[in-house]
Amino acid sequence: MSDVPLLETRGLTRRFGSFDAVSDVSFSVGKGEILGVIGPNGAGKSTFINLVSGHLKPTKGRVLIDGKDMTGAAAWDVARAGVARTFQIVKPFNGMTVRENIAVGILYERHGTNRLSVALELAEEILAEVGLAGSGDRMPGELSTADIRRLEFAKALASKPRLLLLDEVMAGLRPTEIGPSLELILKLKQRGTTVIVVEHVMKAIVAVSDRVLVLAQGKVLMQGDPHEVLADPRVIEVYLGHRYAKRQKGDS
Amino acid sequence: MSISTQMKTRRSLIPIALTLVAVVLALVLKSHLPGGELRAVATIFMFIALSQAWNIIGGFTGYASFGQVVFFGMGGYFTAVVMLKWNFSFWLALVLSGCFAALFAILIGQPLLKLKGHYFAIATLGVAEGMREVVINLPDLTGGGAGISVPIAGKFAKTQYLGDGGFYLLFLALAIFALGIGTLVSRNKFGYGLRAIHQNEDAAAAVGINTVRSKVMAYALSAFITGIVGASYVFQQITIFPERLFDVEITVLMIMMVVIGGSGTVLGPLVGALGLQFVSEYLRQHFTNAHTFILGGIIIVAVILIPQGAVNYLREGRRTKDYSLLTNIRKYRL
Repeated sequence: MSDVPLLETRGLTRRFGSFDAVSDVSFSVGKGEILGVIGPNGAGKSTFINLVSGHLKPTKGRVLIDGKDMTGAAAWDVARAGVARTFQIVKPFNGMTVRENIAVGILYERHGTNRLSVALELAEEILAEVGLAGSGDRMPGELSTADIRRLEFAKALASKPRLLLLDEVMAGLRPTEIGPSLELILKLKQRGTTVIVVEHVMKAIVAVSDRVLVLAQGKVLMQGDPHEVLADPRVIEVYLGHRYAKRQKGDS
Repeated sequence: MSISTQMKTRRSLIPIALTLVAVVLALVLKSHLPGGELRAVATIFMFIALSQAWNIIGGFTGYASFGQVVFFGMGGYFTAVVMLKWNFSFWLALVLSGCFAALFAILIGQPLLKLKGHYFAIATLGVAEGMREVVINLPDLTGGGAGISVPIAGKFAKTQYLGDGGFYLLFLALAIFALGIGTLVSRNKFGYGLRAIHQNEDAAAAVGINTVRSKVMAYALSAFITGIVGASYVFQQITIFPERLFDVEITVLMIMMVVIGGSGTVLGPLVGALGLQFVSEYLRQHFTNAHTFILGGIIIVAVILIPQGAVNYLREGRRTKDYSLLTNIRKYRL
């Protein structure tokens, strides 16, 4: 059954009032694949992530995880099916230490331990992996912006996901800080984790993605090889306007 | 065994040792106190148990239940009715009244726990006020506004009255039970889930926590403890009235103890309950005319200076090595 995609959406639609934030999005991601999702502001990227993770219920359409229909399932059921996510606006557990933030995820992971002491020890490994070794006793409020993003990433890793949804984990990072995150994503791929990376940093998307999906006004504009997608006039147009795209065309 | 594990083991033994010392002290104290004092100390034990109960839903989970007294009243009335009408023994009534309160919490928790912050507080307050009216308007069952009395002696009483010493021990046992539950919750998976829910429900759900079920379970657990305390209070008081058993002041006291001591910790509500009861008793004896006024002033100052509660303030101070109250006000007020 390895040809069943890990995630498949069929005609996924979410309407807010009369506005379709996500409209008729159908695509699939294979096991171990890294899919980049790009699109201008308001293209529906975060709404799309929320629909997959169960934080929003779709108006129409289906979400299948490893062939199982999870449309409209509660976020915790999606999580227990092996889907972890980060939030674009980070949501650390502020009243808990960094180590405890990770331990919660380990305790509630689908094959996780029930013993707190074990979870707290396992948390160290994950902290080391994202570059937060030694920060376990600190509170999230004391971390730098970059470290808060790392914590957000680490919290998702604590769930040992099969499918990881990264909603702009690299936003606000300096170019030198992006490198380690990309290495980590590639390492996850080697372990067989499927990753969907929503990102504004194009360099990052091109570096890690096997395939790129472009959303514009809630719809799939196109998908394919990262380099081809980024060079496509339609993509340039939605990002920079059609006059810029025309000029690019004239130049080449 | 590594040094850190040894330290951890030693750390986890300290509360157990302290509890044992406290229990021995309480038992020694029992044989030295006259009846009136025994009742006063039993009331302190009662509030230790109640504040721990409130802390589970209000402190760990972050849902400020302003109608917590509804479980106290329902547990109490359940006990009174089954002891009087169906001749239940107090001990059976005690356990059943806890279950009754927990069941009610599960029922109202489903809709109420969807509300957040002030809305949840107001809704729970409404439930408590409403339930008092229900009890008043069912005189055949509850005795209505005229009150109800439980049988305490003679052949109509399955359980004989426990007396001042007996209730002292009963409330001591309830306090230890509640502290035990609180300690367990503070250190296990369920409790970590509640703390995560307190911080951010979306993020909690994203790591696989069934937030709806966890919240309802926390509410039910909190209601169970509150219910058995209410049941014990009724047996101690013999005759009870709706106004007293659904008195909003009981909820307010629970909340004040937890908030002043430090919510979301086990030690905090304990410190709050002991501190508030002792200070209020001291003031009553030394400033007969103005004791509530002075107590109110102390509470206001405490909440302004250390809004996170005494225990949380001391823990943060130890961690950051900064005990300055000014820093503290800046951190929490500005």
